[in-house]
Amino acid sequence: MIQLFHLFKNFGPSIALGDLNLRVHEGEFVFVTGPSGAGKTTLLRLIFGAEIPTSGHILINGVNLSRISRLKLDLLRRKIGFVFQDFKLLPKKTVFENVALALEVTGEHPSFIRKRTHRTLKLVGLAEKEKAYPLQLSGGEQQRVAIARAIVKDPLILLADEPTGNLDSDLTKDIMILFRSIHLKGTTVVIATHSRELLEDTAQRTVFLHNGRIVGKK
Amino acid sequence: MRIRLLPYLFKQALNNILSNRVVHAIGLGTMVVSLLIFGTFLLLFVNLNAWVQGWGHSMSMSVYLNDDISAAQRAEITSFIGNLAEAEIKRFISKDAALRDLRSALGSQAGVLEGLSDNPLPASFEVTFTDMDDRGTDLKGIKQALQDMYGVEEVQYSEEWLHRFEGLMNIIKLVGFVIGGLLCLGILFIVTNTIKLTIYSRKEEIEILKLVGATDWFVKIPYLFEGMIQGILSGVFALVILYFGYFLISTKKMYFLGLAGLDFVFIPYQYTLLIILISVSLGLLGCFIAVGRFFDI
Ligand SMILES: Nc1ncnc2c1ncn2[C@@H]1O[C@H](COP(=O)(O)OP(=O)(O)OP(=O)(O)O)[C@@H](O)[C@H]1O
Ligand SMILES: [Mg+2]
Repeated sequence: MIQLFHLFKNFGPSIALGDLNLRVHEGEFVFVTGPSGAGKTTLLRLIFGAEIPTSGHILINGVNLSRISRLKLDLLRRKIGFVFQDFKLLPKKTVFENVALALEVTGEHPSFIRKRTHRTLKLVGLAEKEKAYPLQLSGGEQQRVAIARAIVKDPLILLADEPTGNLDSDLTKDIMILFRSIHLKGTTVVIATHSRELLEDTAQRTVFLHNGRIVGKK
Repeated sequence: MRIRLLPYLFKQALNNILSNRVVHAIGLGTMVVSLLIFGTFLLLFVNLNAWVQGWGHSMSMSVYLNDDISAAQRAEITSFIGNLAEAEIKRFISKDAALRDLRSALGSQAGVLEGLSDNPLPASFEVTFTDMDDRGTDLKGIKQALQDMYGVEEVQYSEEWLHRFEGLMNIIKLVGFVIGGLLCLGILFIVTNTIKLTIYSRKEEIEILKLVGATDWFVKIPYLFEGMIQGILSGVFALVILYFGYFLISTKKMYFLGLAGLDFVFIPYQYTLLIILISVSLGLLGCFIAVGRFFDI
């Protein structure tokens, strides 16, 4: 469960988030939407502990992020998958190595890492590109590598920032089906997007952000 | 931290070194030179010390005789010295010989001796001691015993001279510590900066590692390996070069220094271990400093 209490985030004088209150239950599937600059990325980064709130509290499964040690936060991150808007892939590592990295840092057995990585890359339709380097891939392919890295460790929470921004509508559907299947296995999923297409044919819970404030819910 | 990760992290360290090989090569080269300077100093010190000790072990003693000594008393002194295991009479200097020596020592100033009505210089035995160990030979006792014999005027030996040399060795030792300390600081500075550069070259990767849940140690340990490897390599290289240099010089027997006959030895193995230990600990310490203020992501 993710709980946000009176969350503020300032970058210098500019306010990215203002007095945000939100509760996402375990196993929920939530969209966060709003125009560019509304604060979607900032919100996800705060939940991930990659950004420190100016004030307010973030609780992940009852654990207050501002009260835990660096090490605890590192370990918590292993249970959270994050698809970054800018992918954050390592250009000098192959697709396979990029995805395997998320398991390697946990010290899993190499054969387990190999199996899981293969399977996940197949799931996102990149089995053939395992040995390629990120810069040799199209934007959509890079995005799917980023998705694979986020889900390879079977996270309890999946935070996806604009995960279909570079995908055509067929691939978008495929990826959304993938997210739903992950959700069905019990993962809490939070997707930030401004894609109308993604939101139209869904009855999913949606949070509307504008200028750092929640302006509507569905 | 799982043990299984260590080989992985070690491989990561090797990768870091390979992808920053120029920086590492320069750092390594500078470290080797610094250690080499220190090692050379140590080598010279060890040998100088051995020579001084050697001279101390083969000291000489002058036994000055009364002018009115009888032949029997002289024979008694000769046999007393002959009975000492380590001692040997090198030569007997008669009164005339002593005056001759003094004259030649004075050279053009020898004229001052012309006014003398009779020779004031005593005859003496020059006694050398060889194969003395540090505690075994009681020079003071021997001196006392000789002085108590009839016909002996005075006994002098080279102890004071030795003391003066030991004082010099202490100064050299002090200089060595200062040079060593400065070089250590220099090495520390080099290691710290080498590792800092490799950290910066991997900044992006470290950020991503932290974002996928790597602990700080996962990121730091490869750098500790890097520092350790740099320390070991520079220590070993410096010793190999030092030994090579020693080998070249020692086979030439140092004729050119006019010191032939003195044994030139390599630094004892305890000191070689010390050099390795110093370089490894400096490598590790430099890393700790470099990764100390780790960026929070
Ligand atoms: N690191 C930063 N430094 C300064 N300002 C920032 C930083 N990150 C975000 N901001 C500001 O905070 C506001 C919210 O940014 P954020 O990235 O969360 O928007 P977004 O909703 O993700 O937009 P987009 O849909 O374009 O990705 C923006 O006005 C942005 O300029
Ligand atoms: Mg964004």
